[in-house]
Order: sequence, then structure tokens, then C-alpha cells
Amino acid sequence: MVDSVSSLTAGAARRSKFRAFMQAFNPTAPAQVAIEAGLICEDLHRSLYQNLGARADLEAGSLQLLVGGIGSGKTTELLLAVKWLREHADVLPLYIDITTETDLSGLNVGSLLASFGTHLSSRLQKAPNFARERKVELKETFQKIREFAFGRVERVWVSYDQDEGEPDFEDESTEEGYFTFQKLPGKLKPPLPALRRDLGQIVEPLKKLLEAARVYSKDVIVVLDGLDRLLVPEKFLAVAFQDFRVFRSLKVSVLSTAPISILYGVGNSVPEYFDRVQHVPALVAGPKDDLLRSVIQKRGGLNLMGVEEADSLCKFSGGVLRDLISLARDAAEEAYISGHQSITAEDTAKVVQQLGASYMRGLSPESIKALLAMEKSKEFDVSKPANIEFLVTRRVLEYSTNNFRPHPALLSAILAPEEPNA
Amino acid sequence: MPDIREHTALEIGQRLELRGQDSSSWIIVLVGDSSTGAKLEHFRDDIASVLQKPTRIFQIETKTFEELREELHNPGNDVAILVADDGLTAELWSSFDLMRGAIERAGPIVLWLSGNSIRHMTENAPNIRSYVGSSFFVVGPDGGFMTAEERAQRLTELIEHYGFGNEELIHRAQLKTLPPDPEIIEWLVLLGRGDLV
Repeated sequence: MVDSVSSLTAGAARRSKFRAFMQAFNPTAPAQVAIEAGLICEDLHRSLYQNLGARADLEAGSLQLLVGGIGSGKTTELLLAVKWLREHADVLPLYIDITTETDLSGLNVGSLLASFGTHLSSRLQKAPNFARERKVELKETFQKIREFAFGRVERVWVSYDQDEGEPDFEDESTEEGYFTFQKLPGKLKPPLPALRRDLGQIVEPLKKLLEAARVYSKDVIVVLDGLDRLLVPEKFLAVAFQDFRVFRSLKVSVLSTAPISILYGVGNSVPEYFDRVQHVPALVAGPKDDLLRSVIQKRGGLNLMGVEEADSLCKFSGGVLRDLISLARDAAEEAYISGHQSITAEDTAKVVQQLGASYMRGLSPESIKALLAMEKSKEFDVSKPANIEFLVTRRVLEYSTNNFRPHPALLSAILAPEEPNA
Repeated sequence: MPDIREHTALEIGQRLELRGQDSSSWIIVLVGDSSTGAKLEHFRDDIASVLQKPTRIFQIETKTFEELREELHNPGNDVAILVADDGLTAELWSSFDLMRGAIERAGPIVLWLSGNSIRHMTENAPNIRSYVGSSFFVVGPDGGFMTAEERAQRLTELIEHYGFGNEELIHRAQLKTLPPDPEIIEWLVLLGRGDLV
């Protein structure tokens, strides 16, 4: 029989150690939480956030895009830029994750402006140093912004002769009928029909709000996250292009994420419309460059694994930050479930295999053949749609403009010998 | 392709429990047929028992995304099992992918998918796949739960390992003097006493 008291103490200590590790390595924790907890290495991408912030501050109305693969750390860079702007510049940075506001698949022209308007209204209404009288003066403007974003209800006249036709908004006096109310949709309430409302409706109210904002804080910078989810360049442009032009005309600097596909193939003309397109590449794992290992160290990972295990996770993450954090968390989980005191080589091998298998699922034999050929020849034609698909799904990682490689966990899964009973 | 070993619902629950109450976890559970009700309900009961949290099941295709978003956030800290039929189209997967930010929540999200659904997901929802990472579990054809014989066998193993019986386990659990091992949680759940976890 085990000694229950010592077992309890040892078990609790072990559990507490693993739980702390799991909390530090949570790939789905909000980036803001990780920043506030001091878990982020700010110089991973050569302090890119400072360059983005400085340009936005110095050049009002500048349009900057942040492009990178899924899980490369774009949101973290944007949030660090917001933090930097708050600390170093006399501006009002507004961070908006557009995916939490509206259904992106129904996003249409004017949606980004509508979202910006509601955030700015809310910020001004809550600002302690903003005079109450000024808020009252802007009441009508706030209302216009709200209606543009969320729609409004209008009183309309319906003639008895109108069976299925549209209600008449103009004339209610010449025919018999009745009044009713009709909801006119706004820009943000999903699901949205494709509206083509004149953007002019929102420009004047926004100008008034910006004038008011500039009284107490010099300029407003909008930081838009989530637009990288629009994987296809045409969709991104359709949604963003007109709204971004209005932002420029209003002298509002924009920092926005964008899909990686805008760099390649049919998308490669998109960057011409912007002042700067900054690429966040996958990080290189190698003996001379310990950037990835610094991510593990910063989060206290070496308390539960040796350097060899850490290096293995770095290597098989392919330099994709979310994959690295996810692999570390899952390796700890394996170790705990298997009764190990710390992460072993066996645990890391198991989670690498699982990650590779998850990238491999859904790949056709032709795709596997193409990836193996690429690995052999080291050649990768980014103009081919199938190859852009590899980049978008992270099966191929981009380390620089001429250095592309299959995700190492995927490659390892492809090259693994078949299980006898698989 | 390298194979992935099968997991029981209890083990999956233990893993989620270890990640913490508000871990915002996303995992995929691969099943032979995603539409089988009894297996799904049994899985839900085991997960609820281990985590001691309400566990709700959502059929993705029967909800609008607005409804899904609303319901997943009210409340946002329980366990949500999202079931996608094989018929969920590429377009819907793509829309679901775009919505990832809107449905992020503190409580875990379990995607209950068949092989076909996983293929559609990996092709059309890369943002969701990225959140799942390697948290990819396979539940056996019986839904991952044990037969009565397997349960009895497992209980015998646990009694031998710890050196005390079921009654003492429950007594110690009530006194809160048990080690916080995943096996102890499993044992309590096997006895139908997940309330003591």
C-alpha cells in the first residue's frame, strides 16, 4: 500500500508543477493575457511592432498591412504596437478584432468604417477628460453612427393595393393603406445582405467624431485584426479597399492584418495599394539562432523539460509560434498522463507525430507526392494556386521570399513507416 | 500515415481537466460516425462527470452562426461539444473558420467529427485547425466508453495499484485526502462519483 500522506504531497506538487506549465503554454489563450502575464518575447520579429507603431504615428493616414501565416504571431505584434503607441505617442489607438464584431463571410463595404465609428463613439462617451457638453453636442452624430452600423427602424406607408411590392417610403396620402415599421439593416448585424449604401453617409459623422477626438488626443489610429481570415485576396480587397481609402482621406492611420495569399499569385498586385506590407515569417530553428528556445525559456518551459526536448519541439514546430506552444503544452499533457515526472523524449515524439498527422489528414496522394518532390528539389513555385493553398494551410512554411519548406512535423509524418495495422 | 491510438472519454476529460478551468481549449474527437446519438451522449456524460461542468451538444448545421455565437457565450465557461455532419459544406466550414474569433470562449470546445468532416475541416478551416494543433483524439467504434467487463478490470487494477478499496476511496475523497492523480479522478468517475472529484 502506498503511503497516502507522502503520495498526497508528491502528487499535489507534481500536479501543481504541470498545471503551472500548462497555463504558461496555452496556445489558445488570448494574446492580451499572454502579454500582460509577461510571457511574450517582444523582440522575436526584430521589434517589428515598434516600426509599425512609429510609421502609423508619424504619417497620419498611412495604410500598413501585417501579413503572415496562421499562428505566426500577428495578433501579438498588433497588440504590442497598440501598447507601444499608448506609451510613446500622443495618439488614440483603437484595436478592433473584426471577427468578434460581425460575421466576416457577410462583411461588406462600409463594415470596417461602421465598426471603427462605434468604437470611437464608445471611447469618446467614456472619456473622463471629454466635456459633458461636447458629448451632448455629439449625440446626433453618435446616433448616426449607430444606425449606420446596426440599422434602424423606419415608419413606412403600405398601400392596400401593394400585395407583395416594397412599402412606399415617400407618399402616404393619395391611397388607402396603413403605417407599419420596417427594419433597415445596418453594417454589422449578421447575417448581412450585400449592401451598397453610399459610404458618404458615414464619412461626415466620422469627421465630426475625429475632430472631437483630436481635441483631447492628437490622432486616432485604427488597428484591425482578423482580416487575415479572408483567405482569398479578392475577398480581402472587396471588403477592405474602399474602407481603407476612406480611412486615408480621414487621416486615420491603419494597421491591419491581411491574408498571406496577397503576397503571391493573383494576389501579388494587392500590396501596391498600401504604404507598407510587413511579412511575419516563420522563425528559423537552428543551433546559431535560439529565438525559438527563448520562447520556451521565457515561459518557464525548462523547468519541465531538458534542452534536448526543447530543441526537438522547436525544430518540429517549424518556427510557427502557435505550433511550438501547442506542442509544449501537449507534451506536458502526455508526460502527466503517462506518469512521468517531466517531459521525456518519448512524450515529445508522440506529440510531434500527432501534429504531423493532423497536418496530413485530408492530403491527397498527389499533394503528398508534390511535397516530397519539393523537399527533394528545394524548389517551390509560389505562382501555382495549389502551392498557395499549401502556404495558407501551413503545410508549407515561408522563411524568406525564396526559402520555403514543408512543415517539419508533416514531413516527419509523411516519411514515417506505415503502421502494420493502420 | 502514422496511426493515432484510441482514447476513452475519461482520458480526454482528464486531459481537459489538467489544462485548467478556463483554458479556452479546442480539441477534435474523431469518431467513426459523427451522427450516432447514444455514443455522443455517453461521451458527454463522461466528460461532464470528469470536469464537473455542464456539457452541451450543438449540431453546427442546425444553427445560424449568430445563434451559435450567442449560445456558446451564454454561458461561455461550460463544455461545448460541436457536432458537424459529413454534409457540412465547404462554404459553411469556411464561414465557421471566419467566425473563430467570435466563438472563442473560456470553456473548452470539443469538435466531434467523422473522418470525412475532418477532411473538410482541414481543407476549409485552417484557422480552426491551427487552434486544435495536435489535440486530436480518436474515439473507438464504441464511442470510447468501456464495457462493463473493461470497467471491472480497470477497477481491479486501480485497487491493486493504490492498495485500498472503493469504499475507502469514497471516504478519503469526502475527507479530501486523496492525491490529485488523474487515475483517482478516473476511479471516482468509474464508480459514478464524479461529484467527489
